[in-house]
Amino acid sequence: MSRRPEKIAVVGRDAAAWTVAFGLQRAFGRVGVAVTVVDLPSLLGPADVCPALPTLGGLHRLLGLDEREVLASAAGVHALGQRFVGWSGGQGGFLHAYDSQPIGLNSVDFLQYWVKGRGKGLALELDEFSLGAAGARHGRLVTDAAPAAGLPRPAHGYHLHARGYVDLLRRKATASGATCVSGALRGADVADGRIAAVVLEDGTRVEADLFVDATGAEAALIGRLPGDAVEDWGQWLGCDRVLTASAPRLDPLPGYSQIAAFDAGWLGLYPLQDRTAVVAVYDHARQSDAQMLQTAAALSGLALQGDATVAPFRAGFRPRPWIGNCVAIGEGAVSLEPLDAAPMHVVQVGLSHLIALFPVGPDFALETEAYNAAIASHAGNLRDFQIAHYKLNGRSGEPFWDRARDRPAPETLAYKLKLFAGRGRVALYDDEAFQEPSWTSIFVGHGLIPRDYDPLVEMVGEPEQVRHFQNLLRLIAAEVRQAPTIAARLARP
Amino acid sequence: MSRPLDVVIVGGGTAGWMTAAALVGVLKPNVCRVRLIESDEIGIVGVGEATLPQMKDFNDLVGIDEAEMMRSTNATFKLGIEFLDWGFKGSTYVHPFGAHGQAWGGVGFHHHWLRAAQNGRPWDIEAFSYAVVASRCDRFEFPSRDPAAIEATYNYAYHFDASLYARYLRGFAEARGLRRTEGKVVEVVLHPESGNVDAIRMESGELVAGDLFIDCSGFRGLIIGQALQSGFEDWSKWLPCDRALAVPCDRAGRFTPFTRSTAREAGWQWRIPLQHRTGNGYVYSSSFISDDDAAATLMRNLDGEAQAEPRPLRFKAGRRVDCWRKNCIAMGLASGFLEPLESTSIYLVQVAITNLLRLFPRNPVDPALVEEFNRLVDNEYDRIRDFLILHYHANTREDGELWRYCRDMEVPDSLRSKIELFTRRGHLPQYKDGLFSPPSWLSVLLGQGLRPQAYDRLADNLPLDELFARMETLHARIDARTAAMPGHDAFVRSYCASAEAVRAPALAGADA
Amino acid sequence: MNRALRDIVIVGGGTAGWMAAAALSKVVGTQNYSITLVESEQIGTVGVGEATIPAISLFNNVLGLDEDEFVRETNATFKLGIEFIDWARLGHTYHHPFGLFAGDLGGIGFSHYWFRWLKAGGDPDNLMFSAEAEAARRGRFTRADGRPGLPKLHYAFHFDASLYAAYLRRFAEARGVVRVEGKVVRVRQHAETGFIEGLELDDGRRLHGDFFFDCSGFRGLLIEETLKSGYEDWSRWLPMNRAAAMPCARVEDPAPLTRSTAREAGWQWRIPLQHRTGNGYVFCNEFIAEQEAMDLLSRRLDGAALDEPRLLKFVTGRRKTCWVKNCLALGLASGFLEPLESTSIHLVQSGISKFLTLFPKNGCDPKLVDRFNWEMERDYVSVRDFVIAHYKVSERDDTPFWRYCRDMDAPDTLAAKLELFRTRGEVLVDNHELFREVNWFAVLYGQGLVPQDHHPVADVMSDEELRIRLSGARKAILERVAAMPTHQEFIDRHCSALRSVDAA
Repeated sequence: MSRRPEKIAVVGRDAAAWTVAFGLQRAFGRVGVAVTVVDLPSLLGPADVCPALPTLGGLHRLLGLDEREVLASAAGVHALGQRFVGWSGGQGGFLHAYDSQPIGLNSVDFLQYWVKGRGKGLALELDEFSLGAAGARHGRLVTDAAPAAGLPRPAHGYHLHARGYVDLLRRKATASGATCVSGALRGADVADGRIAAVVLEDGTRVEADLFVDATGAEAALIGRLPGDAVEDWGQWLGCDRVLTASAPRLDPLPGYSQIAAFDAGWLGLYPLQDRTAVVAVYDHARQSDAQMLQTAAALSGLALQGDATVAPFRAGFRPRPWIGNCVAIGEGAVSLEPLDAAPMHVVQVGLSHLIALFPVGPDFALETEAYNAAIASHAGNLRDFQIAHYKLNGRSGEPFWDRARDRPAPETLAYKLKLFAGRGRVALYDDEAFQEPSWTSIFVGHGLIPRDYDPLVEMVGEPEQVRHFQNLLRLIAAEVRQAPTIAARLARP
Repeated sequence: MSRPLDVVIVGGGTAGWMTAAALVGVLKPNVCRVRLIESDEIGIVGVGEATLPQMKDFNDLVGIDEAEMMRSTNATFKLGIEFLDWGFKGSTYVHPFGAHGQAWGGVGFHHHWLRAAQNGRPWDIEAFSYAVVASRCDRFEFPSRDPAAIEATYNYAYHFDASLYARYLRGFAEARGLRRTEGKVVEVVLHPESGNVDAIRMESGELVAGDLFIDCSGFRGLIIGQALQSGFEDWSKWLPCDRALAVPCDRAGRFTPFTRSTAREAGWQWRIPLQHRTGNGYVYSSSFISDDDAAATLMRNLDGEAQAEPRPLRFKAGRRVDCWRKNCIAMGLASGFLEPLESTSIYLVQVAITNLLRLFPRNPVDPALVEEFNRLVDNEYDRIRDFLILHYHANTREDGELWRYCRDMEVPDSLRSKIELFTRRGHLPQYKDGLFSPPSWLSVLLGQGLRPQAYDRLADNLPLDELFARMETLHARIDARTAAMPGHDAFVRSYCASAEAVRAPALAGADA
Repeated sequence: MNRALRDIVIVGGGTAGWMAAAALSKVVGTQNYSITLVESEQIGTVGVGEATIPAISLFNNVLGLDEDEFVRETNATFKLGIEFIDWARLGHTYHHPFGLFAGDLGGIGFSHYWFRWLKAGGDPDNLMFSAEAEAARRGRFTRADGRPGLPKLHYAFHFDASLYAAYLRRFAEARGVVRVEGKVVRVRQHAETGFIEGLELDDGRRLHGDFFFDCSGFRGLLIEETLKSGYEDWSRWLPMNRAAAMPCARVEDPAPLTRSTAREAGWQWRIPLQHRTGNGYVFCNEFIAEQEAMDLLSRRLDGAALDEPRLLKFVTGRRKTCWVKNCLALGLASGFLEPLESTSIHLVQSGISKFLTLFPKNGCDPKLVDRFNWEMERDYVSVRDFVIAHYKVSERDDTPFWRYCRDMDAPDTLAAKLELFRTRGEVLVDNHELFREVNWFAVLYGQGLVPQDHHPVADVMSDEELRIRLSGARKAILERVAAMPTHQEFIDRHCSALRSVDAA
């Protein structure tokens, strides 16, 4: 090929395909790039949910998507964080809110004071000092307006009904000029390590200069190219099944998803406007699908509807998500559990890097190298965040969890854990999806309390420290009281 | 509550006194007691020193009053560095403390600028940098606090007399209770089992014990190198300059709000304007020029009367394998050396101090803190190193073996891929920690003569005539606003004139 | 007898002959005139790679040729200038780029500012300020391609001269030029006037003509053998008298420049075409034996030889009068200047265009003829001086040949130019001269001549302003060149000849 890409085919399905198509169309549609979606049959079940981090709101703004329209189309609910239950053995669990750390004193982080206080008998958990966590617990949207001075402003992500969300993206993408060909994939013409065209079952051929493989775990395009490989992460993330079902709507609507560990994996409850999505991620060797359905009902305490679906899952990633003229985005590139809203984030990272490195000429070699390095770096950090939940679990005596705890963590995570365990510092690398407050939240939440605190804490007298803590709690309570409930916010026209 | 940490700083140059001032300025005696040991016999370099904008953060953190500090150190303002004859002889560009233009539609300005050039409207990109335009006409004013204003698109740093700065910090620290001991260190006493530093023995025989030792003893690394055997990672194959000659001269010529770096046959010459004189120096590689020729070159290229004989300095580019080992942290030259081409010396001291405060240890020192400190400091060093190499590597100079050598040398992969991505598509390096930010990379990549083949296609979303109109408006705004700024000389005189300040000669320009 | 012009006969079908036929058929047409070209397939044409200068576009435009088609048809590549290796001294390289340097900075030429800057320690590489040289050094090429406001890149072509002749033949024949196959065995002249009346061919056919073009090559069948014009020998300044030519296989993407490498007894050309590379050694057999020169050439190719070396013999000089009676000589019949500055085709073109201007519709008025001959002589002499300057201004003295060049006298016209440049950095050229101030600047400075002084106007600007202006000019060139495709990419996109080669 002797031209820069002018024709893009996004081959795939569901949220990954349509997010990428819409994103590329918005970015390059007006400068002469034609985007065609080869829309393969959906793999979404009726109950599938799409959890999203606050960064998705940023993408929506770039795409010109109005939050209200998104929530209305996808029965969506604001998500201020995730609540982990049963992971570290304790009863209460903790809330990982999408929040900054509370403000410390004297340029020393709040955490350091909290660690010292805890040693002196302070009974309050770290997440009790988070406005986002408090808002989540009370189902109140504390993210709408700037809070009182002294409190950082938390952010919210979403829980979206997957089919509704995909329908919206499809409508928007086609309205903005992306074309769509639907059908099942028969094959692809591959020559010299590049894809010339994809062929559908009805014989339709779609040629393009650049192909996006958004086919999911199947990796129907990139899997055909020479040099493709998969790095398996099963040693750290051992679940191999995802069960999804619907349950009745929760009332009042909580502002978080609940992630409960059980002996063979975890069960997530994701509130939506009209129902609750129930997602179980588990080790099939320890719990059959049929058993899982029962366990899910029992653990959630909710009556499951008859729409449950089960899908296989394998954690891993492609070290070369971009080969030749094919870029894999989504699960085909980085396969992570739906924990921490990782799957949607992976799509977003893939899209934003593809836009940033969109080829300017016929030769993509440099872009490919840079893209693959960036995705690997993002994926590694996200993987570490997920593994941290498992690695820090406190469920002794259950083989699944014992194994997860005993497995040596990847080096990058092991370093983070070691540094945090000593002094509560988080080592941040390039390309982190989660910043210091999130790492701190899950480390402490899962029971990794730093052995020591910063000696500089001693420069603040104890009475002042106590006053600061009390003041924070008071401010948080006041903020939560005046914030609207999520239900009220959704009902507002 | 544990007892305060006893910190012993060995060496009283800029690094030593910065550390001392920071520790006593930020910390209370209940957590840290500081003692500094220095010998008047061991001179410090004390030439004009140029800094980066981060310096202001340091002063704010420690509680130093800017105007007072500037008065005391004959300081002037700095908006960037002008590079003369880099890339090719006769070239000029400024690496400003600030951006070139602004991003439109989420696309970096330089993509728009390239697109304009490729459509028949070539502009000099420097005309879109507020700091460059102000520099070119020797003007200065504090940046605006209104983030939307064009006057907020730059930053500033200082030029000062480093020995006066050390003296100023000494006064600051001693006023806050720092204990200074005069004398030479003759021995470092290590604990026989742990290998930690127990104490240092003074010439007087006194034994000074401590929990944490800060080695500010200069290149030799009295504790970190000689006693603790932290090796040196040698980078001279990429940065072959290993000597410098420094000489102050009378203040003459332009009173520039920028440092000037002029590439010479075997290295480069700095020019740092102070209030009372001008600092000059020739950084060169002894493999490519003799000391005598270097001295002659330097003396021939002063714009005022020399005030002394040139003072020689020797060094080697690189850094300590571990800047923190056991209970000793190296700062300043003891931690490594990168030539002052991008004024990073004081910044590196500052980074070490900031990280020390973030990872402040107890006794005994937690090795996890040491490892993290070294990770962060190494990162800074490595990134600055790549940036400096770029200046040498991207050149088309025909004179001088040094330039041919640097052009042909194999550069680190991390730099090679940055250059490739830039020349291919204007992609700029971006990373979480460390110098330098994308605008800095842009100005040096362009300044050294590298040009992207293509711009980001997102830039095409802006209609061409609108792009031209925006660029014209921006250009005109910068011109108009900078024309209204006071001259650098007038500004310094009214804000922080020192007792020794020399009145600018009438030809200095913008003040009239 | 001097009668109105009707029948035009061109003798010889090389590049010159077909250029003349094509131009005449286009400009005066074959309705009022008959145009006949006689050539013999037995007499081969040289057909090596030929390099040109930008003015060839004027010729092609007069014909109305589509440039991409022309490039495809002749296996051509683009040329941004000439690279001279080992000319000033061994190991030295410079370019004579087409186009201007950096534009004017203030009324006087760039070179004065640049000499001032050089004296102040500026980089001695003047080519930094030539967009053409920068693009050539980086192997890039593009046309301004309909982007208003973009400065033009000055370029010419390298092409296969026999393909060019064949292309022009198709063009001319389509416009009514009659080609006659045959050898001229006799020339009939008017008994009194000596005007040529007709030709007799080897098969006995007779051709009548009112006007004759002699494109028969070195020998000058009409102009010399018949009309005894006489030949002015310039070999004391340009002693080269042989050229060995041989094509070799292409080994890399074609560079957009001609390369000329000075050798022990002359110089070697390298002309990249789309499918192969043309090479040749121009030498003087008094300084090197023919066989040795051919052997050396064969060894100094960068690709596999595609043919045996072919030897050409010549004497540098010019026909004393190119237009005699009703006969006008073009190409080699009119004179010979070695192709060091790629002027051969241009001199043909220039002859044709002068002829068309003075078109002797009603007979060969001696005033027109004199005018033509006077202009043509000026052209030849000014090109000659420019070529001699390459040999004269050189530090080389490593072989007898180069010592000869060092010691020889320059023609007065050239000596005066060199002296002025040496002292004042000035080159005075007359309006008619093909090579302008900028060309002399490029070559004289490239050959190592640095003037003692520059024009005082160049001192008006401050040091800082000059530096910023020159830096700015350099930056603008970098930006332009970075955005260009490589030469090969450009050819692939617009005018690749490969397809037609495959089909053949």
